[in-house]
Amino acid sequence: MQITLHHAHEARSMRVLWLLEEFGADYTLRVYDFFNKSLRSEDYLTIHPAGRVPSVEVDGRVMLESGAIAEYLAEQLPAAGLHRGPDHPERMEYLELLHYAETIGQHLANLTQGHIVLYEDWMRSPTQIGLETKRLAKVLTRLEAQLRDGRAYLLTSGFSAADCAVGYGVWLAPRFVSLEKLPHVAAYRDRLMARPALQKALPPEGAKRIYTKDFYEVPDV
Amino acid sequence: MSATLHSIAGSRSFRVLWLLHELGEPVEVVPYQIMDGSLQQEGFKAISPARRVPALEIDGRVLIESGATVQYLCETRKGHDLMPPVHADERADWLQWLHYAETLGGGIQNLNMQHLFLPKPEMRSLTVMGIETKRLAIALKGVEKALSDGRDYLLPTGFSAADVMMGFTLTSARRYVRFEGFPHLTAYQARLEARPAYSAAQVAEGPQQFYTQDFYELPEG
Repeated sequence: MQITLHHAHEARSMRVLWLLEEFGADYTLRVYDFFNKSLRSEDYLTIHPAGRVPSVEVDGRVMLESGAIAEYLAEQLPAAGLHRGPDHPERMEYLELLHYAETIGQHLANLTQGHIVLYEDWMRSPTQIGLETKRLAKVLTRLEAQLRDGRAYLLTSGFSAADCAVGYGVWLAPRFVSLEKLPHVAAYRDRLMARPALQKALPPEGAKRIYTKDFYEVPDV
Repeated sequence: MSATLHSIAGSRSFRVLWLLHELGEPVEVVPYQIMDGSLQQEGFKAISPARRVPALEIDGRVLIESGATVQYLCETRKGHDLMPPVHADERADWLQWLHYAETLGGGIQNLNMQHLFLPKPEMRSLTVMGIETKRLAIALKGVEKALSDGRDYLLPTGFSAADVMMGFTLTSARRYVRFEGFPHLTAYQARLEARPAYSAAQVAEGPQQFYTQDFYELPEG
């Protein structure tokens, strides 16, 4: 499989980068700056018409959605063991988690927009930021409930592509929501952080990052 | 035992309801409303801990994410052509459209929040409303472009569950983005609405109650 990943540090494309590292797959990486116009270049717009990341070229085919990419790569490369096929007893949970990852991802994208992309106070809606923060906390409590039985990863059958999809959100979430009351999520996050493949998906020293504060407080209304 | 769908008319629930009708699967609909407190009932929390719809009780399970539910139904119900198999050429595109529909769904959800659910105008952000509207239009343009080669449905091979994911989204998107510049999208939507299972699902769903206008203009900024 010939794979090229178009990526911006700390963006959703990190899911795919992490997954590729978990596969041990060969791939070509192209890194873009999230904030400047590099994602709007003519060349890149022919790959991704909306100028967003990720996009992946797989054997000449372009895919844009990180959830679809994760699902597709996992099922096309089943030997890596990150896939749970239709005959697997945890198939349903696997699918739910892959899609749930995007529910978490949308709240994070809204918070990233509210706190970081909109750089002037008048552009923001503190009410929306407050609501999105609450919703993020709520979707994380579902993970807390799932992890409470002591499982190491989201499925009892072990680490899967769903951990990369959801795990990106869990990695990012503490910048917006405290994990203090979510001890199982916090411990799960520590386990993810200990994986060499996740470490390789993080921005290298000195790289320009999207998230520069440890915690983004909800602005006063 | 037949399936039970916890549903809000006009929401993502319609995807699941329509698909069940396409599959000829019997379902009982339990209706909820966003603003009347019905989602806050204790009984519903037991089914859907984050109090989100759709929640489908089927095969002794509860499914929450519409995308995962659609995939699960396609995999567990036989005798249909709604999902290309794993090694089919169009598998990547099918997955891609499934997730793409949810990217559109997320944008619509953000616009719903700004236009409908933030009770006071000062809670809104005109910047966010403008950005989300533009993003939605760009994402719709991607669908228009795919359809411009004359195909009837998202996959050139014919109607699939990806169309079921997309269909409801277009109905809602049209309240925020004018379709005049999207002739293929307009014709595609009409094709979807002409399907008997679509109309039957609409009757089963009942009238939606949270949109009060056909079109929501961006407020003057």
